[in-house]
Amino acid sequence: MSDETTADAAAVATTPKHSATTPESAATTPAHPQRSEALAFAIGVAGWLVPGLGHALQKMWGRAIGCFLTVGALVFLGVGMRGNLFSSEGGDAFGTLGYVADLGTGSFYFAAKALETKGSDVAHAEGDYGTRFLAAAGVLNLLAALHAYEAARGRKA
Amino acid sequence: MITAIGFHLSHFQAMTLFALLISIAFGFLSRRGTNERVKYFIWSLLLFLLIGVGIGWAMYPFSR
Repeated sequence: MSDETTADAAAVATTPKHSATTPESAATTPAHPQRSEALAFAIGVAGWLVPGLGHALQKMWGRAIGCFLTVGALVFLGVGMRGNLFSSEGGDAFGTLGYVADLGTGSFYFAAKALETKGSDVAHAEGDYGTRFLAAAGVLNLLAALHAYEAARGRKA
Repeated sequence: MITAIGFHLSHFQAMTLFALLISIAFGFLSRRGTNERVKYFIWSLLLFLLIGVGIGWAMYPFSR
């Protein structure tokens, strides 16, 4: 389950092999910077849409499974505790902020919508905790997607 | 047909579960190698619990 060398491998993969420069300078100035930047961005978006996919595409299996399971568990528990899943019609600034945080879970947001058959119940502490679980899942997934993006850019991750 | 799910957790159980899951994710994301991850996970979990309980006690005088 160890994926210690994969971040460096990903960095090498984005570096062109037919460059005349030294390995050190090649790592910092790739021949197709726009292409590798677009690839890194696509990996970041993939990681946002499906938690862990950004790392899985770079063969960081431990991180991919870890992200998928923790974000999935937080969403499942949040819905089970009847937390509030914000929608785009939030109204005030907190509603919008909550919507952005919830949307951070990517496709899991829609899975949570499907699972939330009874609706939210924030009148009790459980529902309030559930709301936090859902928001934390989104923010955590955004962090993981950003991490996958940085790793794809060749930054040490 | 999706069956409705429901969990009934106490404040402490919810906080512990939250700390557990976030610590696992932090361990995986910020460290390499199993040993480093386990160490970071334990350290993060302990701090989550300690600070959570500490803030709970600090707020007790203002709870009513």
